[in-house]
Amino acid sequence: MTQGTYQQTAYRNNLSVIWNEVVKNIKTLLAYPTIIVFWAIFPIFWFIPFILQGEAFVGGLESSSFAQITGTGEYIPFIVIGAILSSYVNTLLYGMGENIRKEAYQGTLDYVLAAPCNKAYVLIGKAVSESLSSTIFAISQLTISVLLFGMNITLGVMLPVSFIIILLILGLYGMSLLMAAFSLMYKQSYDLSESIGYIFYIFAPVRYPVESLPTWAQIIGKFIPLTYALIIVRSLMLLGSDLSSVYLEVIALVIIDVVLLVSGLYMFNKIEKKTRKSGIISHH
Amino acid sequence: MAIDKESEEFSIETKDLTKKFAKKKHRGIFGFLRKNQQNNKHNNVTVALDKLNLSIRPGELFGLLGPNGSGKTTTIKCLSTILIPDEGRAIVNGFDTQKETAMVRASLGMVVGGERTLYWKLTARDNLTYFASLYKMPRKKAKIRIEELLETFQLSDRADERLEDYSTGMRQKVAIARALLHDPPILLLDEPTLGLDPGFARQIRRQIRELSEKQGKTVLLTTHYMNEAEQLCDRVAFINNGKIVAVDTPNRLKARVKEKEIVEIAVYSPPADIEKQIRSLLPDAEVVKLIRGNEDEGSPSRIKIIGGTAEEHIGTVIDALRQNNVRIGSLNVGFPTLEDVFIKLTGAKLTEGRT
Repeated sequence: MTQGTYQQTAYRNNLSVIWNEVVKNIKTLLAYPTIIVFWAIFPIFWFIPFILQGEAFVGGLESSSFAQITGTGEYIPFIVIGAILSSYVNTLLYGMGENIRKEAYQGTLDYVLAAPCNKAYVLIGKAVSESLSSTIFAISQLTISVLLFGMNITLGVMLPVSFIIILLILGLYGMSLLMAAFSLMYKQSYDLSESIGYIFYIFAPVRYPVESLPTWAQIIGKFIPLTYALIIVRSLMLLGSDLSSVYLEVIALVIIDVVLLVSGLYMFNKIEKKTRKSGIISHH
Repeated sequence: MAIDKESEEFSIETKDLTKKFAKKKHRGIFGFLRKNQQNNKHNNVTVALDKLNLSIRPGELFGLLGPNGSGKTTTIKCLSTILIPDEGRAIVNGFDTQKETAMVRASLGMVVGGERTLYWKLTARDNLTYFASLYKMPRKKAKIRIEELLETFQLSDRADERLEDYSTGMRQKVAIARALLHDPPILLLDEPTLGLDPGFARQIRRQIRELSEKQGKTVLLTTHYMNEAEQLCDRVAFINNGKIVAVDTPNRLKARVKEKEIVEIAVYSPPADIEKQIRSLLPDAEVVKLIRGNEDEGSPSRIKIIGGTAEEHIGTVIDALRQNNVRIGSLNVGFPTLEDVFIKLTGAKLTEGRT
């Protein structure tokens, strides 16, 4: 064995990289107490405007025309699910790019990239940290919805719902690799992640049912993982369906995940090499 | 541990290593109007390393000296695989930096950029634990090693405090401890004492010397402090504009100007052409160099004269300075330093930018 190298089993080593990345990010987050206050208050502000807007339009919290399109007359759970799943888009796309930008700014990025571990696992650790904050956010929103708006949650559906959220996170992880690559190249990815976020909000059924969109927009929506995640989770939680009745959407989500993960990893490796060649990697 | 002077194998070897950077274009939205002015390909490229050749033996403490922008940090970044060279190759611990990247990375510990390159919101222990995982260290081994290093660098008492509460010197110690975590055979240290107070700088120098002598580590040290290089290094290479100008032991390098005395005069507010005036008065002097100081911060400019005899020079130079109403702070006649050798070889001084 060459001095300085360690031969741990690959999977233990990779888990250790992911775990330590998560611990690092959480400890850093906890070093800023005001962020905790923000996370405690923001979930309420995030979706209440949508609920009030809907109530103003339909004259109450239930609507027969809404029920005709969606199969459920309950507007609040529909909106809450949209808000929760789209918060994963926010944190993963924006969070990953921002995390890489901060590493470059504080000078730690060179050390992370010059270490012998596989960088994909460092990025998984970053994605897991971001997903954890989204999950805390989601739990806060669900709790508020139950307490303030009397939303009913069947615990039995939470397992398949969690499975779908993991599939959504995998697809978003593929996209966040692209954001990380963009941050390496351009030292920020805020504009790109904001733009993608807005595309998601327009073409995926976050605030309205997919049927409200014109046909051409529905076709674009079919390439967005959030579209399938929203359709499946709403079917499970609001219509009482099981996974077998939405298996086509699940398959579509898995296919999009594979495409996004493979292309995201390829692009990250390609751009990382390009920045090491051009010297941009050491700029901040 | 002694250096293997007969060794044909090198811990670090570069062959014609070349790195070029494209100059950043700041054209703005109407930049296309200036497109033709910036079309010259050669003007848009900075050659940071120009066919650099280095051979460093196992266990050697090797200094790379040069002014800012001379290519020191680029050399370290190419060796550590952070940058990919445009031409040539680099071999580290027997591994090619472009083909066996993971093995090169595992063979190296580096300190580049100093205290800024750590997570200030985390403790010293948290920082070291995190980086140990990136170097694939098993958890138990990492824990033992971290305790050892905290002890060595006298940080055990404050290991659980955030780095934001540390002094610059303490953070630099953590940065060096991080480089040693996985016990690499080779260390790349880029200006490790930059910005440290004299006490901490002394401690760091002693520890670097011990790493080489007691642990047999090969150390590539970049610095522009001549005293540091003279005190620490077995051999020194001068680098200027991306090229190696000379390589030898500090004593042999100084011997190149040893028979000549060096006159150094501290002066205040010298006119711009004083160097030219003095040079015309001293045709037999090998080097006449005005090194601009920062008088507002109490650092006068210095005139260095190498070659000829000191007595003859002093009288002539003082007359010239008086005629120009230049105030003289001090005058020294002494033996050459590494900076004198560097000035003689390149015409530049170690503390200025690219020539």
